[in-house]
Amino acid sequence: MSATTVEGKVSQVIGSTFDAEFPEGHLPQIYNALKIEDLVKGNPVKVTGEVQQHLGGGRVRCVALGSTDGMRRGMTVVDTGKPLSVPVGKATLGRVFNVLGDAIDGRGDVAYEERWPIHRDPPPLESLSAKTEIFETGIKVVDLLTPFVRGGKAGLFGGAGLGKTVILTELIARIASAHGGYSVFAGVGERTREGNDLWLEMQETKIGLTERSVIEQTCMVFGQMNEPPGARLRVALSALTMAEWFRDATGSDTLLFVDNIFRFSQAGSEVSALLGRMPSAVGYQPTLGTELGQLQERITSTRNGAITSVQAVYVPADDPTDPAPATAFAHLDAFIYLERRISEKGIYPAIDPLASSSRILDPQYVGQRHYDVARRVQRTLQRYRELQDIIAILGVDELSEEDKMVVHRARRIERFLSQPFLVAQVFTGKEGKITPLADTIRSFEEICDGKWDHLPESAFMYVGAIEEAEEQYKKMQQQS
Amino acid sequence: MANRRLLVKRLKAVRNIRKITRTMELIATSRFKKAMDRAAEAAEYTRKISEIVGDLGRANLKFSHPLLERRAEEKKSVLLVLTSNRGLCGGYNASVLRQTIAHIRSLKEKGIQYSLEVSGKRGIKFLNFQKVPVAHSYTHFEDSPKFSEVEVLASRYIDDFVAGRIDRLDVAYTQFVSSSKQFAVVESILPLSSLGGEKTGKAESAVDYEFLPSAEEILSEIVPAAFRAKLFKCFLDAAVSEQIARMVAMKGATENADEMAGSLKQQYNRARQAGITSELAEIIGGAAALE
Repeated sequence: MSATTVEGKVSQVIGSTFDAEFPEGHLPQIYNALKIEDLVKGNPVKVTGEVQQHLGGGRVRCVALGSTDGMRRGMTVVDTGKPLSVPVGKATLGRVFNVLGDAIDGRGDVAYEERWPIHRDPPPLESLSAKTEIFETGIKVVDLLTPFVRGGKAGLFGGAGLGKTVILTELIARIASAHGGYSVFAGVGERTREGNDLWLEMQETKIGLTERSVIEQTCMVFGQMNEPPGARLRVALSALTMAEWFRDATGSDTLLFVDNIFRFSQAGSEVSALLGRMPSAVGYQPTLGTELGQLQERITSTRNGAITSVQAVYVPADDPTDPAPATAFAHLDAFIYLERRISEKGIYPAIDPLASSSRILDPQYVGQRHYDVARRVQRTLQRYRELQDIIAILGVDELSEEDKMVVHRARRIERFLSQPFLVAQVFTGKEGKITPLADTIRSFEEICDGKWDHLPESAFMYVGAIEEAEEQYKKMQQQS
Repeated sequence: MANRRLLVKRLKAVRNIRKITRTMELIATSRFKKAMDRAAEAAEYTRKISEIVGDLGRANLKFSHPLLERRAEEKKSVLLVLTSNRGLCGGYNASVLRQTIAHIRSLKEKGIQYSLEVSGKRGIKFLNFQKVPVAHSYTHFEDSPKFSEVEVLASRYIDDFVAGRIDRLDVAYTQFVSSSKQFAVVESILPLSSLGGEKTGKAESAVDYEFLPSAEEILSEIVPAAFRAKLFKCFLDAAVSEQIARMVAMKGATENADEMAGSLKQQYNRARQAGITSELAEIIGGAAALE
């Protein structure tokens, strides 16, 4: 990698990509950052690009990481000689960055000691951590059916408006506030307002019982919807690089939240055609798998430290077979699928207990009892789903007595999977509930055993452990 | 898009179910007519008998019959539950059984011993599942119960009652009021309590009977006959109600199936169209990229 800077000229601008011409023998390497700084009609134009292709004849094709407005042919381009780098280290905590690693929270420059390039190799095979440990969240349905892995990756899949961001924020509130290590949040192509809300919320929320707010242990990187595709394509890497520093340099447990991985794929598809690649299935870039693999393989735990990551994945048109979510699926340890039919019933979190799964829902990791209860719950719900067509046509009365019992319990389990959220307190008017794993397992076991058959369905809505359902029932009786 | 093959499969299943429910509806309609006629005839007979008994009562005779005696202390009772052998009749069995369970509970609270007799496979299955012991079960009463079959039961009840082996007989069945109104009841038919007072008003212009050989002898004939007729009527009512319930349930089911088939077909068409569109777009896009 040559560190000398070479100057070239812009030869073509196509949307959010541009071509640049360099003198013979000074062709910038792929992924090198190119800088343009100029004044056009009194307006400053400042763009950073990333080399994607060598076109031959001294020309390179680049993706612009900022707006290409005002760019024109013949402008001077400077090859920085190295890939884009972002500041890392403890100085980044409590700050908000853009894709280039510049602070955007209006609190001045960051006094960083080190910058790391955003393109790095994934950790080698031999240094990966082989530990598998359950990561408790206090959300009943997650802990029971899709237990998270400490140092693993969890995905939240869901169509538009099913509450992916709410669940992600809830997880931040639950995990980050109880967590001793560092957190990194990457906002990829989502609403800028949500990013702002989260930032303000993090300043207010306190870590555990200490006086310090969550933001002091967190750094945030945003490349939201307003940014050009190049920024959205690279912002996840910028955030990941910061998280990697915490993992490698401090060795502490690091949390990485990404909202939304789909936007990363989408941004890739937006620039793909401009770079001259032939579109592949459903119009996605042919390199979809590679791009995502390069990102996801770096989000991993090593012997040195762990990155636990939770990623939201938008599912276009509620179709999980769409290439973007389908590709993301393969990389995850725990997989939560949000289902529209459940949210239509008013049950939140609208997690589909049958489509969601986790690698560690295995007696070897979670214990035999947890495993058995989870499978019983799933079996009951599965049977209920199979019976649903019959019920819709013939009515519940036509079922056999055994099936009626299954339906009876399944409907209660379904409702019991709902839970009031800490961050949704203003909407539901109910206090958020953190349910310990032991309570969760016991509650579901008792429902499956038929101990709570006498309670009406509505008593199971939005409660924590099963005893609260009973309390709710008593309260309901008093009111009527 | 939703899996097209899956949609086709579901659509087929729904259409098959619809075929069955539609057929059941037609069968129930024709059976209902027959059962209705029988019930109407029996109602006529029962009414006449109670009229005569009413007249007897008005004759101001001191009459007594063991079947009419109310025991001071009811210890043992029999509960006869009439359900259907076949399903696909909506809430028909469920409502009778709900009444049954409620009645059993009240009997238990009062500390009355009971023995349960059930007619119909549905009821037997339900009570087995609930682990309620059943003394006798019958499955031979079909859509048109015969008087001779019911009489066997009736005679046994009369013997048991007269001999004091039982103090009370309740029947849980679906009472038929009109073709649009039936409801599940638990009726106490032994001891025969309100023999005379049932249909007052009508027999105002009472005829003065002459009793030959004597009123007592006539009573001893007519009271058991009235009981048999009443029990038989329960069976007939249950049979008619079953057919009505089936008719209504199957009509609803057919409609539901139609609706579901419609929406599935729509989903399928949409998925098909989306598939074609995306394939076209990909081919055109690919071709354009090659140029």
